[in-house]
Amino acid sequence: MTDTENANTDRAARRGTVLSGVADMAVTESELRSATSDVADAHRDTFPQMRASIAQWEELEGESTRRALSRRGFLATAGAMIAGGVALAALPAAAATRSGGTIAAARAGLPAMGSDVPLDVVVAGLAASLENLAVATYGAALKAAGAHKLGPVPPAIANFATVAMAQHKDHAAAWNSVLVRARYKPITAANPVYASVVDKDFAHVTDVAGVAELALTLEGVAAATYLEAIKALSTPAAVAIAASIQPVEMQHVAVLNFVLGRYPVPLAFGSLSGAAPVSAANGLDFAKS
Amino acid sequence: MDYDEHGLGQLIEQSDDIQADAMRAGRASLDEVVERGRERRAHGEIDNEEVEEFSTRRAAALRHGLAGAGAAVGLGAAILALSQTSAFAAAPGDVQILQTAAAIENLAVATYGVALTLPFIGGAAANPVVKTFVTKTRQQHVEHAAAFNASIRALGGKPQTKPDPVLLQVVDKAKPTLTSAAKVVDLAITLENGAAETYVKDAAVLEDLNAKDLTASIMGVEAQHVAILLAVRALLAGGLGADITLPPPIAKLPAAAGSVGFPNAFYSTTAARPATEGAVR
Repeated sequence: MTDTENANTDRAARRGTVLSGVADMAVTESELRSATSDVADAHRDTFPQMRASIAQWEELEGESTRRALSRRGFLATAGAMIAGGVALAALPAAAATRSGGTIAAARAGLPAMGSDVPLDVVVAGLAASLENLAVATYGAALKAAGAHKLGPVPPAIANFATVAMAQHKDHAAAWNSVLVRARYKPITAANPVYASVVDKDFAHVTDVAGVAELALTLEGVAAATYLEAIKALSTPAAVAIAASIQPVEMQHVAVLNFVLGRYPVPLAFGSLSGAAPVSAANGLDFAKS
Repeated sequence: MDYDEHGLGQLIEQSDDIQADAMRAGRASLDEVVERGRERRAHGEIDNEEVEEFSTRRAAALRHGLAGAGAAVGLGAAILALSQTSAFAAAPGDVQILQTAAAIENLAVATYGVALTLPFIGGAAANPVVKTFVTKTRQQHVEHAAAFNASIRALGGKPQTKPDPVLLQVVDKAKPTLTSAAKVVDLAITLENGAAETYVKDAAVLEDLNAKDLTASIMGVEAQHVAILLAVRALLAGGLGADITLPPPIAKLPAAAGSVGFPNAFYSTTAARPATEGAVR
């Protein structure tokens, strides 16, 4: 058996342990905490897989990636909404309908960062910046909760925010590894276009429900963006990374829907509505390392 | 049980409205696929030798190059090169992948159908939220199967109307043991997770952009099914079945309930089904 097969078998075995551990657990908080610890183990188990994917990232300065710029467009449809400075809550996200996948010319959305930056690099940077924003938003929510600014915070909600924040941190790290491998500097800041809108919305949040609504919109934006990215990215390893993250954002959406008292899986097909436009990468520093 | 039937009905109604919109958009997308298939066929016959060569090389790439989420070094270039050999070359491999996906969906539809005949899932003894979830999820799988088969037809392939043969054995073996809601949920998690992981893998290798888009648009929904089922299973196992309500009594749920539905930061592909497992023979 190869190292990869051994690793996969080990992961599968441990995953099975985690799932059966969840199934067998009693109701006590300590046992639930134990189950959460197992979940964290499973979470860490996915890292070797992800590292391998990142390691297989192709040289993004290659001709094939450059070709992608003229071959496909990316996310132009949502650009107007962002440019208009609409509040984030007004953006149609996961609960909205699928747009039908209209994709316009890519270069039209890439005015600021220069035509020499491959589209896959731009998408990786955009993704990292959105993940950074999610981390910052959950962090701010947890801080506000700790300062008793959100009223009573149920333990399950605090746990959701903590784990979701950690996962977004991992997603950001994955995309930044991709950027570094492509010889670009990591994107460590939150997306400036979305951050300005989120900051305004967050200023009006006074309770847990408000945080959940904001989180739902952010998660929906992320899920839709990855769905669009899967079609737009040209490097298979990049597609694989986006494909491994999108379902997790969708899971966050489902749980938030449920928490908010909505049907958790309202759509049979993922929505593209609310996807971040590639122009939202404007302002990101795509500097060579 | 704290269950607002009227409220849930309204939510389902809203959900169905959204779903109807999504289906309209989905049909538009499928129309594009159909048109593309027509264009392909209008330009001539498929070169069988080329198709065979592509299938062989692609099968090798799938076997050796794509373990987990990552593609092997060079696979990207290989697939890119293959895609440039002919606009037709992508279709047969994609058709097999899509047939397997349709087979998985067919099995899910059948399995949820069986589950709904059980008194603790579809009968009077059932938790209404669980019953609603199973009913609606089954319908979503019907739509997934139809979408995959439409995509197959558009690429000139034969629709798959049968269930995945390997997973069917798992289901058949499990059927006599389905004596409680928890056991049904266990089986559903196996099927849903298998579907999600298969589609995550497929999304990275499908050549046809519409097939890729369709598959990607379904994988996250299956992952959502998994998330809810994991949460339901944890609550059932903890004796908190009465708390499976919509909205949930969030303040009284244990902390771990908040994250039990999404155990991994990256969706695994270790349980993905082989690409040709459900292909039409």
